[in-house]
Amino acid sequence: MSTVTLKNLVKDYPNGFRAITDLSLHLDDGEFLVLVGPSGCGKSTALRMIAGLEDITSGDLYVGDRRLNDVAPKDRDMAMVFQNYALYPQMTVAENIAFPLKLRRVPKAERTAQVHQAAEILELTEQLDKKPAHLSGGQRQRVAMGRAIVRHPALFLMDEPLSNLDAKLRVQMRADIAGIQRELGVTTFYVTHDQVEAMTMGDRVAVIKDGVLQQVDTPESIYGSPDNVFVAAFIGSPSMNLFEASLTGNDEPDGGYSLVLGDQRLAVPAEVVAERPALASYEGRPVVVGIRPEHLEDASVAPDHPDDQRLDATVDVREALGAETLVHFNLNAQSVDSGDPDALDDLRDTGRCTARFSASSQARVADQIRVNVDGRKLHFFDRQTHLAIRDRVHGAER
Amino acid sequence: MQLSRPSIRPSRIALHAVMILLVVWSVTPFIWTAQTSIKFTRDVASKTPVLWGYETTANAYRNFWLDSDDLNMWGVLAFILVVAAVATALGLIGRRARHGWPWFLGATAVICVALWRFPRIWEANDEYDFLVNSVVVTILTMCISLSIGLLAGYGLARYTGISGAVILIVALGFRALPRTAFVLPYFFGAKEIDDWLTSTGVGSWNFPLIDFPGIDTLQILDTRLAIVLALVAVNQPFTIWMLRSFFIEVPKEMEEAAMMDGATRLQAFRKVIIPIMWPAIIATGLFTMLLAYNEYLFVRVLAPTEWTLPVAIVSLTGGESSRTITEAAAASVSITLPIVIVIILFQKHLVRGLGAGAVKG
Repeated sequence: MSTVTLKNLVKDYPNGFRAITDLSLHLDDGEFLVLVGPSGCGKSTALRMIAGLEDITSGDLYVGDRRLNDVAPKDRDMAMVFQNYALYPQMTVAENIAFPLKLRRVPKAERTAQVHQAAEILELTEQLDKKPAHLSGGQRQRVAMGRAIVRHPALFLMDEPLSNLDAKLRVQMRADIAGIQRELGVTTFYVTHDQVEAMTMGDRVAVIKDGVLQQVDTPESIYGSPDNVFVAAFIGSPSMNLFEASLTGNDEPDGGYSLVLGDQRLAVPAEVVAERPALASYEGRPVVVGIRPEHLEDASVAPDHPDDQRLDATVDVREALGAETLVHFNLNAQSVDSGDPDALDDLRDTGRCTARFSASSQARVADQIRVNVDGRKLHFFDRQTHLAIRDRVHGAER
Repeated sequence: MQLSRPSIRPSRIALHAVMILLVVWSVTPFIWTAQTSIKFTRDVASKTPVLWGYETTANAYRNFWLDSDDLNMWGVLAFILVVAAVATALGLIGRRARHGWPWFLGATAVICVALWRFPRIWEANDEYDFLVNSVVVTILTMCISLSIGLLAGYGLARYTGISGAVILIVALGFRALPRTAFVLPYFFGAKEIDDWLTSTGVGSWNFPLIDFPGIDTLQILDTRLAIVLALVAVNQPFTIWMLRSFFIEVPKEMEEAAMMDGATRLQAFRKVIIPIMWPAIIATGLFTMLLAYNEYLFVRVLAPTEWTLPVAIVSLTGGESSRTITEAAAASVSITLPIVIVIILFQKHLVRGLGAGAVKG
């Protein structure tokens, strides 16, 4: 078990494409770090550089205090779980799991014991004599896990291990993998494009875009105070509504601000401004405002809400999910492109807004409704830099 | 729910009729030859063809393969059947066994010993040497072609740079050239080497497998080695292309997983990739085998006396030989049978190889 340190890792491809720019990360002993980002953002490249399957162009990789840049993959003492599992089709489950031990010339009796122990943890004991072709997707996934855990490596590397499973199994395996990792206490570097996996599994989450690290923090902080527009939109589902708005001072004597969002006004609670000293300097200027769908509520469900924190809207689409209802409506405001290449292009510039209402909401398509906005949960970003507005002008640092 | 029976449409009947016609078209000559090989000359020569009810004899086979005139051929047949049965039994056990290779090795050894002992039990004549030549040439060509093809095909499948593409296209170009374009250069090249060997004295070394018995000097021309070298050269592009197309189907993650599990690249290749590739290796090996076994031109030119069976059989028909038509038929059946047996055993792999070649090769 060991710490992992990435210092200014850079990956350039021969064709001049820079896949990773100055990636620095530190994993504590036993930590579960999830690297999440949209497709093609370089997250798998980063993982493969740690594994030794890709050369490191510049920068340093340390496990403990050993520099691993030029060490062959087999000598790095890391175990990897691949997206397509990469099980050896000609070997049985037991032989697959035993393969790393066999290469290390572990005596046969010990090998068998360890394979059985791993199989027990993963509930694979009855499948040990089967070939991978006769296993279900979830079982194959567990065999791949078995091959990794049987060695007690210094580091687990997991490259989207759940993306080939169906949705139901994915939820279960998510919990299983996190549980096994906690039980074994092996430092884990997990790559995914699925922000739900990132939020639920990681001790910390690192968000990456176009090879550049955007933010590293606990899931709660990433969700609660995203550093920039991209992180804000990427984490959370449905994603955060982002609009251009302008901040104006109130005429009232006690000051305070309101937000002009399209042709509507929204009061900004004083505590929000107090938490963000830098916000004052944006008075009279355009900003990007972010509202999470879960911080919008049908006014008829929650009538006692300050009247100046409400918006008028006409329901376009209603999706009843049982436990909650998603309502889409149009705000006459400019939407902001977060820069996520996986996002749907045709939703830009529409002013479309998604709200997550409680199931008791009676809003129907074409209804005129009032929408409560939880003003304390608003997010503000600079319009040019897309960085969060906090305690310094243009500041993303806290 | 009642399943409707597939209706018999006229187009289906026509299709089957055409297929039956094709089968008859291609099988009839072989059946005719097989019949001829067990007839007496008088039946073969009769004006009205005798299709059934004729007296059978193994004389043609005896005359073609053996020096003796009055040997009972049942003994020879029994010997062949026993060898085949033992080899098959060992092979079948090997397929079931956990470690198959000792059994397969045993089966191979039985066949080798049988081939070696055969002329000592019965008085075999020159044609038997040609059979041995055919077997040695075929096996050596297969082994060398596959070894080079596996490494090159793997490399070219994994390396995607421009020089890899150039190598593949050049290889394809050489594959497209006719045999006749190569055969004279090979002949003169071999002659040059032989001259050099003679002038330096290296030619007096002796390699039993390569050297023609009775010739003490090491040479290239008129040896099995010449045929093998030429066949490997012309066949290599095909082996590389075919194996490469199979390697591309093996996900790169396989060897990466093995390397993460603690294997070197070579170990990953040997312990993970090669076992996955077995069906492809067998398919490619079969194609190489057919090519080497059937080769005529190279053998004729590069080995004027060291024939393989195809050259031997042609010499029976051209009026160069005093032998009869029944002997030619017997020779042709003897040559075909081993290949037919191998193809029947491995036809699944051959079809797979043909498919891969059609789609990707």
